[in-house]
Amino acid sequence: MPPLEHLHMKNVLQTVGVLEAVILRSFGPEGGQVLFTRDTGQAMLSRSGTRILTALQLEHPLARLCVWKHSTATGDGSKTFILLLASLLRLIHAAASKEPNVSHSYNSTKAAEAATARHLADKLLAFALKELDELIATGVVPYGGRISWEDFTATAQSPSLANNLCVQKLLRSFFHTRFGYTHCDFISHLACELLSYWKFKNELPSFSLQFVSDNFPALHTPVSGFPVCASRLIDGQVIHRDFATPPLKTDHQPVKAVVLTRSLQPTLLNTGDVLEVGCGGRMMEERSIVHFSAWMERSLQGIIANLQTLGVCVLLSAVKQSAAVLALATQAEMCVVECVSEDELSLFVRLSGTIPIWDCSMIEPEHVVTLTFCRPIQLGGHRYVHVAFQDSEERITVKPCSLVICAPGEGQTEQYACALQDAVRMLLRTWEPMHAAVTTTSKRTLQSHKSSSLHTDNLTDRTTYRSSAIQPIHKCVLEPGCVISAGGSFELLLHYALLQHGHSCSVSHDLNIDTSVSQLLANALLSVPQKIYAHSPRHFLETQSKVINSELDLGLESVSCKYQLLLAVLQCVRSLLKVDTVLPTHIALHTQSSRPASTSWEDTEDELLSGYIHLHTHTHTHIVYHAIYKEE
Amino acid sequence: MSRLSKKSPSVCTDLPLDNTDICEKLYLLKQILRSCFGPTGRLKQVHNNIGGHVVTTSASSVLLSSVSSSQPFINLIKTSILNHVSRFSDCGLFAAILCLSLIEQVKKSALRESVAIRVNKHSLGLCTSYLQREDCDCRVKLDFCSSQNLITLARSIISSKPACVLTEPETLHISKLAVQAFLLTVPCSSPGVVSLGRIVTVPVEGHSVLSSAVLPGLLVEMPDGLSKGESLPNPLSVVVFSASLAGDLSELGNGVIEVHPGVDTDSQILGQLLELGRQVVNNEVKLFVCQKVIHPVLQQYLRSHGVIVVERLGIALMEPLSQLTGAQPVATLHTTIPSKAYGNVRDLSIRRFGSKTMLHLLPLGESVICTMILCHRNQTMLNELKVVCQVTEHVLRLTLREPFALLGGGCTETHLAAYVRHKSKNDVPEAALLLGCSQTEYLLGVELFCRALESAAGALEHDGGNSLIDLTHAHRWTLPADSIKETNDSLGFCGCGLVESSPSSKWTYLNTKYAEFCPSPLFRDTPVQPRVLDSFTAKLSALQVAIETANLALDIKYIIQDMN
Repeated sequence: MPPLEHLHMKNVLQTVGVLEAVILRSFGPEGGQVLFTRDTGQAMLSRSGTRILTALQLEHPLARLCVWKHSTATGDGSKTFILLLASLLRLIHAAASKEPNVSHSYNSTKAAEAATARHLADKLLAFALKELDELIATGVVPYGGRISWEDFTATAQSPSLANNLCVQKLLRSFFHTRFGYTHCDFISHLACELLSYWKFKNELPSFSLQFVSDNFPALHTPVSGFPVCASRLIDGQVIHRDFATPPLKTDHQPVKAVVLTRSLQPTLLNTGDVLEVGCGGRMMEERSIVHFSAWMERSLQGIIANLQTLGVCVLLSAVKQSAAVLALATQAEMCVVECVSEDELSLFVRLSGTIPIWDCSMIEPEHVVTLTFCRPIQLGGHRYVHVAFQDSEERITVKPCSLVICAPGEGQTEQYACALQDAVRMLLRTWEPMHAAVTTTSKRTLQSHKSSSLHTDNLTDRTTYRSSAIQPIHKCVLEPGCVISAGGSFELLLHYALLQHGHSCSVSHDLNIDTSVSQLLANALLSVPQKIYAHSPRHFLETQSKVINSELDLGLESVSCKYQLLLAVLQCVRSLLKVDTVLPTHIALHTQSSRPASTSWEDTEDELLSGYIHLHTHTHTHIVYHAIYKEE
Repeated sequence: MSRLSKKSPSVCTDLPLDNTDICEKLYLLKQILRSCFGPTGRLKQVHNNIGGHVVTTSASSVLLSSVSSSQPFINLIKTSILNHVSRFSDCGLFAAILCLSLIEQVKKSALRESVAIRVNKHSLGLCTSYLQREDCDCRVKLDFCSSQNLITLARSIISSKPACVLTEPETLHISKLAVQAFLLTVPCSSPGVVSLGRIVTVPVEGHSVLSSAVLPGLLVEMPDGLSKGESLPNPLSVVVFSASLAGDLSELGNGVIEVHPGVDTDSQILGQLLELGRQVVNNEVKLFVCQKVIHPVLQQYLRSHGVIVVERLGIALMEPLSQLTGAQPVATLHTTIPSKAYGNVRDLSIRRFGSKTMLHLLPLGESVICTMILCHRNQTMLNELKVVCQVTEHVLRLTLREPFALLGGGCTETHLAAYVRHKSKNDVPEAALLLGCSQTEYLLGVELFCRALESAAGALEHDGGNSLIDLTHAHRWTLPADSIKETNDSLGFCGCGLVESSPSSKWTYLNTKYAEFCPSPLFRDTPVQPRVLDSFTAKLSALQVAIETANLALDIKYIIQDMN
């Protein structure tokens, strides 16, 4: 049995303190980037807290526990998460060591301290779940503003409108935290433009945002070797493959295209089939192998001729086509694009409203889609296929466009792509302040529908999107689209609201609410603006007074993201303090039985398991938990 | 699964720019690249530790890709520059030197990194908008009616690669060939979207550089058994196959084929191939080309009917060949070849270059395919020459989109530095407010930016001479090391060759403080042509990439290395 590692508050504080020190390098206006290399040797850049923390490859289970997966929902705030966590733990520790809980008969002060701390954490969470949203609604929201979908989409049509700067400001401050000052203006403008192009008519804003978020890999092209300002939007869709045949020579427009899901050439022999040559069977007259291949070529010619009569000149294929197909298509003046990825093909199918061809012998006019053009496009070192869709009233409700992200290095293009994707997620959360549980379930359904969307009809696909977007929202006082000035004003305002709340409670002698809890939370919150203005304390004081008069102009932040972040921190604190012993064990990783619940977990949680089991003291009995990280 | 091991923790570096190891490495990299810059740059020999091929070069693409560092910070800068080179082919060394100088300058000063980043971006904005302006004084409009400036541009690129070891007339010869080949690939009369042709390079070792040549059409390996005396019709019909004609089976699927005894599948397939041959001969094809292998019996059959057979052409030449001949590649063996799949060539001739004998296919009409035969005395120099010609071709192509060139010889850099200094002096309060820094910080930041630019210009000098800047046009001048007196009349022309020294002009050493001034425009009606020109597109992008990379490097506060 390996030695037990008893955990004490101090250990927890120490671990979190180390993480805080790393995070602080990239926090706030003076923060910079973190460069990290993957185990593959690939270099990446980030200011995103989640990325930094996961890149550390933390070994200590407590530290891993801190790398909470909350940011998948909001796409933002993992740096603030660590800061808040550290400051809360410090305050709890201070409070616990000051007055150990004397009502219980613990045999050591350490145990007594731990019990008090645990008790405090429980109370904090209970308080937050009960009161926090109302406090925010009354104490914070009035100082902020609201952005609405109309403001936002107006950006493209008339950039002079004053109120639509709101979304851009929100995005700008988000990007500022992600890659610094230099390009945040440019990228936020680009993101706004992208989203306004992808506005679905007669749909909820969340539908459009969810769509962009889901299809982001197919919607952007990273190009390295160019300055960032060369990034741009282009009309239509970019298919990340080159033509397998010479592209269309004549510039005639529009062009007709079909989507293929299998090889045009009929497979003569499937796996397991046996072709007998020269046996003189009664069924087959022709015995020579040559005739089989001749038959194959003839049927292929028939298919090509059929496509030609339909006027098709672009074949988009999910699989590789044979040399004969390519040669015959070239002769018929068609161009072929092979091995198009499933994501891109399903997006193409969705945008064009066509039906992919399954059976090559039955190609009907409804399989054929008319495109404005289909031409090669040179992006960086690659030549891709660029298609644009024809506007058709009943089918297309958006103006499809693709994003080209340019940067000098691959690490940067990746960073920008990630930040854009997270920004969309953040916006989505701003519009739909939902509880985490609801969010994850709705996401699951969306994903499962998306994967089958290649086969399902367009219309049903869309209805599932809509229905999942307006799932019943549980208790939620926050209105959608609430924003507040960035630069620590949320924390400051909530700090005052909590103090006031505590004060009013103590005045009214409400015995149910412990005023020390709100006091503690209020003090912990103050640490965030303190860290932001760490380089100049004068600024901190100035900001404090400005926030009260709501004249701060530093950008915007989403209130609901902040709220969720705070809840996540409190949950994390509670589970951190509940662990009292780390018990290293040696699990034979290849046995299935040792990881019963692992199938439902995601990657990082799998990693958490390797080698550690936690003894979890719950109601004074020792229970071995595999999945301590999961919220009960 | 049994080999699953626990992941080791990552190695972290806090504040990499304060790390002496990283700073030393950055300095070393800068010294290596600086010493290679320009026509008088020193060469580097790259060879690996297991006695591999030795490469002699001064090209950034070769140098940077062979420099490998365990330090991700160095690799970040390296890949940024390499990516630029892979897109624009030119100005890699310039970008790298500028980027490293700027990092060094900011590092040496007391300026906060976040302020430096803002000021750099602002100064870069000044430079790019100035370079895009109509009245920009370091930009030359390229005139496609005369090849003069194009040849100058090509020559500047070729002469900046001393590893080619070319004499003055050889440089001129290659420059002219490069421009000639480039012009051949531009279609003369085609409305709508223009698609450029291809230059196929054939390297020939052991011959004088002056015997290099450009030929319209395509050269292919000489086929066996070609009799010379035969008179061929004009034009010749051509067929091109992309499928193998070796007698193997085409894709039938994954199933199993059982062949019963007594059945000769091979001869059946061969019979089919011969049938194809008969069809081709009946259609009076005189040149039969296959990307892959042709069955010997079919070859023999075709030859006996007076058809020239070329096999194993390779995928690289397939596209130029079908462009040249107008033939469409055939991959079906059982169907009749459609008449439009046949192509034509005007004539065939046999050409000899050194040890190589090749078949020259001449296009029927105007064609955008041409062949460049490059000769040089040995393999190393030939390789470098090949690379240089490709770079030149790329740069010349870039001029089609933006028909400009920048003054070379360091004059653009010094001019830009003077311009930025002058421009920024005039709007100090506004800019400082906009960038959120103090006025002193702003001025210091601009000064660092300009010094980095001038340091890139100064890197052109390797022979112990001094770089000067004149205080009228802000061009770069060289004061040779052996000249004792600093008289004005001995300076001759400036770096780009556009300005001649006159007794009234004043100079100062580069990287010394001088009172800012507005660079005065040159009189454009003078018949003097610049002697050195740089690619506009490549240099503009190099400038942007260099500053952005430097900004990024300055912004990095922490490094995490995964050691798994």
